[in-house]
Amino acid sequence: MYIYLPIAEISMHIGIIFGLGGGVGFLSGLFGVGGGFLMTPLLIFFGVPPAVAVATEANQIVASSVSGVLAHMRRGNVDFKMGGILLAGGVVGSSLGVMLFKYLRDMGQIDLVIKLSYVVFLGIIGGLMLLESVRAILRSRRPGAPRRKLHQHNWLHGLPLKMRFRRSKLYISALLPLAIGAFVGLLAAIMGVGGGFIMVPAMIYLLGMPTSVVVGTSLFQIIFVTANVTLLQSVQTQTVDFMLAGLLLFGAVIGAQFGTRAGALLRGEQLRGLLALMVLAVCLKLAFDLAMQPSDLFSVELLK
Amino acid sequence: MIRAVAIYMLTICGMLAASLVPSHAGRVVADLSQSNVSLSSGFHGTELLLFGAVDGRETDDIIVVVSGPPTDVAQRRKAQVGGIWINVETNIWKDAPSLYQILATRPLADIANVDTLGQLQIGADKLKLQLQPEKPQPGSEKPDAGKFLQSFARNMASTGLWPAEVGSVKLTDGALFRADVQLPANVISGIYDVRILQFRDGVVFSESQTNIYIKKGGLSAMIYNFAHDYSLFYGLFAIAFAVAAGWLAAAAFRRG
Repeated sequence: MYIYLPIAEISMHIGIIFGLGGGVGFLSGLFGVGGGFLMTPLLIFFGVPPAVAVATEANQIVASSVSGVLAHMRRGNVDFKMGGILLAGGVVGSSLGVMLFKYLRDMGQIDLVIKLSYVVFLGIIGGLMLLESVRAILRSRRPGAPRRKLHQHNWLHGLPLKMRFRRSKLYISALLPLAIGAFVGLLAAIMGVGGGFIMVPAMIYLLGMPTSVVVGTSLFQIIFVTANVTLLQSVQTQTVDFMLAGLLLFGAVIGAQFGTRAGALLRGEQLRGLLALMVLAVCLKLAFDLAMQPSDLFSVELLK
Repeated sequence: MIRAVAIYMLTICGMLAASLVPSHAGRVVADLSQSNVSLSSGFHGTELLLFGAVDGRETDDIIVVVSGPPTDVAQRRKAQVGGIWINVETNIWKDAPSLYQILATRPLADIANVDTLGQLQIGADKLKLQLQPEKPQPGSEKPDAGKFLQSFARNMASTGLWPAEVGSVKLTDGALFRADVQLPANVISGIYDVRILQFRDGVVFSESQTNIYIKKGGLSAMIYNFAHDYSLFYGLFAIAFAVAAGWLAAAAFRRG
């Protein structure tokens, strides 16, 4: 059964929409990422215009993040104070991102910027995470190996406005999470993602947060950043397809619940290793597409 | 059912054409099985029956040209820059038909010569369209439309909106004709123009015109209008719906 999407202005098979929603929702619950970095390229692959894919995906991530965060809240795995500071930065960053998105779209280069951002950020983060998790898995196989320090002290800890984050067992400057939030928010708006795949490693490696609270806190702040993007894209570009988002999130919220459960069965480093492999696969696919000569050098887009 | 009605109407048309029209005038009467198409939630392309009567001979030919509402279309050219393929040139085709489909009783070349078809702009490669750079630079020349038209027609064919093959028209006894007009799933809303040309000895003998009206309908139309007319509320509603759906799912799974 096909369904006509009023904003994307294409007709799509309902099985594809539910399949994408459920599959990506499962992974989002499993890894604590919004899943946007998979969903947005997939939607574009299935013929949804890139601008609609990016804006609609933000709307859908709101739902899967709410669904995911509730499960984490029950286990007390959300640092609200840290999340609040991250999302304050995130709202500012994503607002700038939506403006930049509109500017690049008018320049005709938004597709290239989206793809290059994917390749660069997925490549760096996937590579680093894979290295780290492989190291962690090898270490855990050698009993008696020295435990990693909670976090390293460096110049970042000399910044002013120090705050205590009890759930994260940290005493650091609020400027650091604020800046991370803003940067990830900017990327989130341009790439049509929640930003979890950047936020999660940033929280672990830059902020030094314990892995247990990272996923819940990331989901918590993603809700607000993607809600902000949804609202701004609705007002500025009218590219949020409610029909598509509604059908995707129907599959995604259910998938996310299963994902969260499955995640509890795996160890942190195994989870990160798997996520890293997936991130790298998407990165390689996009890099390959950019480097390969297209079968037709010309392409068309109906303007309205 | 539609077929039965259409055949019935064809017969009526045929009798009318035969009885009322003087034999020398040359006249085409045409109608569609359905002239209003609604892009509702279930829309996935459709097929319309174009039928009618013509006061003609058995050796006459019919060409039908279906064109969608004029739309600006951006055509981008990729080139390799620093190892990756990026869009280096964008030109805009002004008011290009958003759908362009030709149906005919025989191959076009057998019906009329190239010059005649060119004058009538029948064939994707014979359309006279304006091409301009997306960002006109002062002093730069206009791109040559003729140079790009072939690749443009190829691109549009791959979207399904400009089918490369000529569809078929059945003409019976030089009096009744029928043709299936395919509307792909990605047609846009607007007024579609259907031209029916009767050819005799390589020239147009008579001509008729009808329209297809394609509109967004039902839930699709509601969502589209809501998004454009009340975009702030639309955004807030989309967020509220997403939050509620996420919460409901979490609550349902907690109990289950």
